[in-house]
Amino acid sequence: MTQDIKIRVANLNFSYRDRTVLQDVTVSFAGNAITALTGSSGVGKSTFLMTLNRLWENVSNAQMKGTVEIKLQHRFRDIYAPDLSVTELRKMVAMVFQVPNPLPMSIRKNVAFPLKLSGERNRGFVGAKVEHALKMANLWDEVRDRLNDDARTLSGGQQQRLCIARALVLEPEVLLLDEPTSSLDQASTAVIEELLIGLKDRLTILIVSHHPEQVIRIADRVVEFADGTIVSAPRT
Amino acid sequence: MKLRTLERLTVLFSWAAGLLLLSAVTLLLGYLFVKGYESVNLALIFGEAAPLRAILLQERVFNGLFPAIVGTLSLVILSIVWAIPIGMATGIYLAEYAEPRAKRVLDAFFDVLAGIPSIVIGLFGFSFAVFLHKHYSDRIGPCLLISSIALSFLVLPYIIRTTQAALEGIPRDIRLTALALGATKLQNIFLVLIPKSLAGIMSGIILAIGRCAEDTAVIMLTGAVASTGLPRSVFSQYEALPFYIYYISSQYADPAELMQGYGASIILLLLCAILFSVAYGIRKGLTHFAFYRP
Amino acid sequence: MKKCRELVAERAFLLSALASSSITVAILAFMVFMGLPLMRQGGLYQLLLKPWAPYQGSFGIYPMIMGTGAISLLSLLFAFPLSLGCSFLIGSIAPKPAGRGFRRLIELMTGIPTVIYGFVGIFLLVPIVRELFQRGSGLCILTAALVLGIMITPTMTLFFCDSFDRIPRTYLDAADALGASPVQKLLYVILPAAKNGMLNGVILSLGRAVGDTLIALMLAGNAVRVAESVLEPARTLTAHIALVIAADYESPEFRSIFACGVVLYLFTMAVTFLVRYLSFTKDTTV
Repeated sequence: MTQDIKIRVANLNFSYRDRTVLQDVTVSFAGNAITALTGSSGVGKSTFLMTLNRLWENVSNAQMKGTVEIKLQHRFRDIYAPDLSVTELRKMVAMVFQVPNPLPMSIRKNVAFPLKLSGERNRGFVGAKVEHALKMANLWDEVRDRLNDDARTLSGGQQQRLCIARALVLEPEVLLLDEPTSSLDQASTAVIEELLIGLKDRLTILIVSHHPEQVIRIADRVVEFADGTIVSAPRT
Repeated sequence: MKLRTLERLTVLFSWAAGLLLLSAVTLLLGYLFVKGYESVNLALIFGEAAPLRAILLQERVFNGLFPAIVGTLSLVILSIVWAIPIGMATGIYLAEYAEPRAKRVLDAFFDVLAGIPSIVIGLFGFSFAVFLHKHYSDRIGPCLLISSIALSFLVLPYIIRTTQAALEGIPRDIRLTALALGATKLQNIFLVLIPKSLAGIMSGIILAIGRCAEDTAVIMLTGAVASTGLPRSVFSQYEALPFYIYYISSQYADPAELMQGYGASIILLLLCAILFSVAYGIRKGLTHFAFYRP
Repeated sequence: MKKCRELVAERAFLLSALASSSITVAILAFMVFMGLPLMRQGGLYQLLLKPWAPYQGSFGIYPMIMGTGAISLLSLLFAFPLSLGCSFLIGSIAPKPAGRGFRRLIELMTGIPTVIYGFVGIFLLVPIVRELFQRGSGLCILTAALVLGIMITPTMTLFFCDSFDRIPRTYLDAADALGASPVQKLLYVILPAAKNGMLNGVILSLGRAVGDTLIALMLAGNAVRVAESVLEPARTLTAHIALVIAADYESPEFRSIFACGVVLYLFTMAVTFLVRYLSFTKDTTV
């Protein structure tokens, strides 16, 4: 496992409606590893994830200070710099949410959606990409015969894997997961944990988790949050 | 990466549409104000009469909008007085008492009522007046009373809907607080739920007032006339601003009269703008007011 | 004592609800009752499809139905793209504060009295149309439809915005997290998911356009025949009611306006139930 640093966060402060959510967070994350973010709920873990792909900017009354740099295409880039567009960033730093959020369209179209956003029109290429992403997410065998079904007909665990496949289709460098298994049963959780471990050679994974067992099972490193700041992190 | 053509066209098209609507409305209002601002003065309202004496009803206004303004105001007040109690009571019933099935049926009725063109409601009012005239009393014809009743039908759905929506929007825990303390359903409604939803209800009422003030189709069928002076009673005919504007637009005799039409339009517009702004402002402010007053 | 008061209050609420809903029925009943003699006389066919020729004893409201159809559909044609663009601006394309301001402004526009649209239309737009096309007086279907289109655009825009607002947050988050630009989010996520609600908006706006009296009355010229082009005058059902009301109570001419009333009422009912039906059917796969 490489120990290269992938993400550097310095002096990050975040407030929502004048309430401090994150205070003076400075931390680095190693590449090609799974880092678990732990801590009791409401200490700003999810918010922290959203500062890494700028998703918080959709929330009104929120304010952020500090720097976030991510190594994208082999060089560190300030993700809040004007020369990096937010839509480009989000294609390289993908995110999967707590509750599966398939779009109201077919399975195929869901996975192909990011390609559509990038203006990709070649059907053969799109088909191959979709298949590849679904295989990476261990979903291909279950849905290969029903790609045109509405994505919302899938089970919860399948939906979440679909969302992972959708996040992977553009081959991002970082994958953020916000408690991806908390709405799923044990069997589905195991499948997803296994697939995440299989993915870490390809990309950097940050996962918010509430389950100590899960953290032990999958995480290479653990970063613990409390009261809006980091209380323990491995040296990098 | 470049936006694709469809995406670019969408952006362009949207800005064009926004600009077009804005300029159309600016043109409409600008034209009205530029042409008419000169006519807006005390003489427009009171003619040759002294304003104070006119307001105290000591002097009759012949050449001004005063009777039309008074007519509109009395019309609005009467209609609202009919519509509020029955509208609010219906809203309360729908939100708090009605069973799902009854609610669905009643909802359909009020949706239809809300969609009925105002001229049809006016026609109903007119024929109802004629009906009363023939069968009961010669004294009843199209008049202020009939107009106000017809108008109250027109705005009833507004009041029902806003009351219902305001009550249904109250969160569960607030709903249960007083009940847990032993309040009856009725006490809960009047002491907690209504005060809590007062802002929503009030803004609905003000929108209803605006609707009463601007409606022309109902009143032109039910008793508004071009010139009769102040209404003497609810059984008499009356003048009203919107009807006056309509009348002037087709029947004006000289430029001076036309200028009065412009002036009347500006006054009506300002009246409606004020009512609208108040309705939007109130949604935020009033709840606090009602709750924290000693 | 307490119980008694509760019961009385509940009865009073119920009574109000019954009274106000009975208005809906009463209006229809009255229209039908008053129009019945004429409908019996010539049959529904005669009434709806025959031309208006009072001196020959023919009181068909066919020209008015056509007039209403022409003016309201044409106004919808103007208002639809305009509303679409405006709702796009508010929903996603304009920067957030600008969009909010624009929405407030449009809300305010819904409060402009109809009679003022008509008034300005007569003195501003009618001469322009007259000069531009060099035909007739300028009082025509086109003029009325243009002004009516401007009048219903704010309402339609708000209906559209409303259906955008009802899209589940999760869809929007998904699109954002995948790196969709605002316009992409609009075109590929919001629009497909909101199309049922938008259809409702269009239908309700058509209802508004059909039900409006003043604009057509003041701007369409009110000629009682089927127009052959949009530059010819026409009369709508609503304007017909306003214009004939002065006639003798017992005349068949007078009776005909109740037929207009019934037609308008039934149209309203159709619109309402169509919208209710559409709102209850679930949204489908894109």
